[in-house]
Amino acid sequence: MRKSIFTLALALVALVASAQIKKPELMVIPSDVWCISNGFYTEVDNMGTTVKVPNYKQALQESMGLKLAIAKLNDLMAERQFPLQSLEQTIKNLEQRRMEDNLTMSKAGNELAESPLDEVTRTAKCDIILELSWELKDFGPKHSLSYILEGRDAYTGKAIGAASGTGAPSFTADVDVLLEEAIVANMDNFNNRLLDHFTEMQTIGREISLDIKVFANNEAGIDLETEFDGDELIDIINEWLQVNTVQGRFSMPYASENVANFTQVRIPVYDERGRAIDANGFAKQLTKVLKKDPYNIPSKVLVKGLGRAVIILGEK
Amino acid sequence: MRKILLSLLVVAMCAPVFAGAKKKADKDTNQFRYEIECAGNAIQGTYLVKVWSYSKKAAVAENQCRKNAVHGVIFKGYGGGQGCVSQRPLANNPGVETQYAEYFKSFFADGGEYQKYASLMEGTTEIVKVGKEYKVGTVVSVRKDDLRKALEAAGIVRGLSSGF
Repeated sequence: MRKSIFTLALALVALVASAQIKKPELMVIPSDVWCISNGFYTEVDNMGTTVKVPNYKQALQESMGLKLAIAKLNDLMAERQFPLQSLEQTIKNLEQRRMEDNLTMSKAGNELAESPLDEVTRTAKCDIILELSWELKDFGPKHSLSYILEGRDAYTGKAIGAASGTGAPSFTADVDVLLEEAIVANMDNFNNRLLDHFTEMQTIGREISLDIKVFANNEAGIDLETEFDGDELIDIINEWLQVNTVQGRFSMPYASENVANFTQVRIPVYDERGRAIDANGFAKQLTKVLKKDPYNIPSKVLVKGLGRAVIILGEK
Repeated sequence: MRKILLSLLVVAMCAPVFAGAKKKADKDTNQFRYEIECAGNAIQGTYLVKVWSYSKKAAVAENQCRKNAVHGVIFKGYGGGQGCVSQRPLANNPGVETQYAEYFKSFFADGGEYQKYASLMEGTTEIVKVGKEYKVGTVVSVRKDDLRKALEAAGIVRGLSSGF
């Protein structure tokens, strides 16, 4: 009898635990505009055009204000039971991964075209990026600090909410003091926006986008209009998305025989085993289905950050 | 013996006066008739607000400022400007006050829990005579983080980590 009660209690605890979903991971990064205006960037030649790319490592090593701001935000978020992921640690992990990547060749010899931000978010596996910028303005002998904290969904890049404002002009020239004041004053408003986003995510899932393409002259000899038991492949994919998205939420703004774009695809935040699903994981679930009978379609998934995946059908 | 009787008589005579004052305070402030505005940047975990309360007696209005400040932070929020940041009310759902009427009745009762979360800033009181009544403004520091935690624990306000 006692054993049965104990087993029942354990089952109840397990049920409660499985009903809860994991907390989203948050990370603060300096915004592109802050990095570039403060000289923390590197110039990259992108097909003949020079592009300024933020250098987060340099910013962390050289800006005390940034370190202070991140520490303060971490302190305030920890108070709300949301400790932030460390950008510094993520960069170290990223460097380690890059080193390993350099030692091993990609199977298809492909390069992943990702921005530094994509790389950072993918390495940290964070859900929300808090982009921070500030600027000190002079009004005669007084100084005022303009501050922006903008939350972005790391999966889609969409803005979640922002807290911004310009502090009262002060004789204090200490940027760190003004920055701390601005963070403390604006944090509640920012957290209110975050709460709205979490409520939406818990209700209608996480948003990603998915592109499906077909290799030209592929070995499998298929395209999106190829029929299986009277249904075109694009309809089969549509049906799969209808079943596997939250409340069947997605839209298909464009489809042809070789390309289909799916946007506003709402995927479950976690799978049945409680693991976080990103666009890559979701796309792989679809490719597994297409690989099996009666379709037998080989495919390749390309990663584009957490919130976008490209499936190329026809070859591995 | 005579002294004791005299003291008792004085106490008995004063009691209705105090009771009357309390009744007056409750009557004047029961509707939570006040204005709330930002009074500057506060230290972490607090809001610094200026509350204007109304009553026919200035002392009554001043006494109610703490209660009104806490009420304002929970249900009204306040506007920004001049370096101040506007703040939304802690209770996002406008129906919360009615839904948890019993809780708030005891919370805002005289000597109620609200007292723990507000303190008057000395030397900041302003009194303005408006018609037949007084408008009294004073700066109050509200411990909003502790207040929010108490409301979250009571299930009145949704915490950032709820549902996770």
